[in-house]
Amino acid sequence: MTASLVASVVFLKIQDFARRPASEQARLRAQLQAVVAVTAAEIAPAGRLMLDAADGAAIVVLDDPRGALRLAERALTAVAVGLPLSAGINHGALQLAGRKGGEGMTGDGIAVAAAVAAFGAPPRLLASRSFRDALAEVAPGLEAALGAAGTFTDPGLRTHELFSPDDKAIQRRSRRYAAIGVVLVIALVGAGVAARASTVGQQPFMEVILEKVPYWRDLVQKVSY
Amino acid sequence: MAKAAKKIGRYKILGELGRGAMGVVYKAEDPNLDRVVALKTIILEKDAEGRGDYQKRFFLEAKAAGKLTHPHIVTTYDFGEVDGIAYLAMELLEGTDLRKRAQEGPTIPAAEAVEIGCQVAEGLAFAHQRGIVHRDIKPANIMLLARGPAKIMDFGLARMRVADHKTSTGMVLGTPRYMSPEQISGQPVDQRSDVFSLGIVLWEMLTGRRLFAGTEMAQVTHSITCEEHEPPTRVDPELPAMLDFVVARALKKDPAVRYQDAEEMAADLRTCLAELRGREAAPDEAGEGSRTVKLDADGEPTLAAPATSAIAADTRLPVSRHFESSAALMRLAKSPRMGRAPRPVGIFRRVLNDGPVRRLFLVTLVAALAGSYVALA
Repeated sequence: MTASLVASVVFLKIQDFARRPASEQARLRAQLQAVVAVTAAEIAPAGRLMLDAADGAAIVVLDDPRGALRLAERALTAVAVGLPLSAGINHGALQLAGRKGGEGMTGDGIAVAAAVAAFGAPPRLLASRSFRDALAEVAPGLEAALGAAGTFTDPGLRTHELFSPDDKAIQRRSRRYAAIGVVLVIALVGAGVAARASTVGQQPFMEVILEKVPYWRDLVQKVSY
Repeated sequence: MAKAAKKIGRYKILGELGRGAMGVVYKAEDPNLDRVVALKTIILEKDAEGRGDYQKRFFLEAKAAGKLTHPHIVTTYDFGEVDGIAYLAMELLEGTDLRKRAQEGPTIPAAEAVEIGCQVAEGLAFAHQRGIVHRDIKPANIMLLARGPAKIMDFGLARMRVADHKTSTGMVLGTPRYMSPEQISGQPVDQRSDVFSLGIVLWEMLTGRRLFAGTEMAQVTHSITCEEHEPPTRVDPELPAMLDFVVARALKKDPAVRYQDAEEMAADLRTCLAELRGREAAPDEAGEGSRTVKLDADGEPTLAAPATSAIAADTRLPVSRHFESSAALMRLAKSPRMGRAPRPVGIFRRVLNDGPVRRLFLVTLVAALAGSYVALA
């Protein structure tokens, strides 16, 4: 039985790989392997699967979207040492491929991650909507770290709503929630104060209303009995 | 024809060297220079109208090829036409062609294969700089001398053959297995087409297999235009990784991202050759260090890795052999269904797990209680 799964795919793409001289391609490929080895080390071997692409690499992270995001972010720091990487993350369906069922992987999870990686210029990290949802499911609130990056259409005319990491998004969200909290506190306590003030030294508001409409008073009394 | 024609033009026929689609190749003697040559004959069309064009084209091509004097190109000494037979007098070489060598001999060692590829690329670069495209690079057109370099044969003759077949049957024949995608689809070709053909030859030398094999023309055409090749290091992990990139770049379907000229390819092959020679010189060192993790122990063909842009159509990516992935594969084998599509996070889960939402909820609750107390107390 062929294994099918839903997992996070980090696609690391070397920009303009095909146009570079082969000697540079070999150097970049070696650099990428080193980067992947270092960054993937923090994920348990049973939790990740490395795949080769002609112009990059794909890392399938089986059940840890947070780890996938960390891995992609760490891998992109390699841009500083001259490896022109862009990254795309997706959470989608995959299946083992090959005659022996273990030679490779196939699926929409890879296709979308590759398309997403192709949109970004180094060192940009882009994530799909489904990855953001997967991140929200395992760590509610963490998805706020991925801000909207826009809607992109791939060569197959498929539209992707993409997100990119925003360092200050979490802080902004906290501040926004704090502001809403302050407004709510003021509103709720203020309402209590207003209600109290309306009753002090005069007839209660409800009494005034019921006196003006006698039928309602009778009705309320009937219901009360 | 050999018996009947003891002489072709001024050349005295000494024997037959071979027969091809276009004519016969003789060993002949040039009495003027007292030199033994290879005399390639091409039977001209009998149709008088087409013959004039064909003859004109043949002379143009032969004249252009005659200008090519390079250590890796067979030298053309002379050409002419006599009794409806066009001929080319060329350098006579002692050796065997690459096709025979691949068929009869053992697998060509990697360093030798790269050296041959490099020499052919240098020869092609020389011709390309002079505006001449070979159009039919294949093992049968690469001569391996007993001692010395590889030499490219039949410059300019492919066009004659293609034109001939086109005229007679309306089809492009020639050697489809070594044609570039643009050539096989009948589009105009330039030097990059030769680069693609050389890429196929190089791949076949390195792997000892046929790249675009097929019994039907349609099958071969489809393979050339659509199928991605398998990187040579997947067939032989001992090959330098850089060869994968050289072959991949030479075999790009889109000429715009292929090597733009053969010199560029030759330069990369020289680098690969230096690496291979270095390994040969220090075999112990080559054996040390972290080698690839071989997943496919029985040598079955593995998946090739498509480029990002091609993944939309073919999403299969091979498991990397540079990293250990067996633990994950075993885990997948044990639980064939894993993970699920993400679901929306409900309000209660968010209140429990999302810090800012939880704080907002608590603040709101406290504020509501405080407001109620103030109102009712």
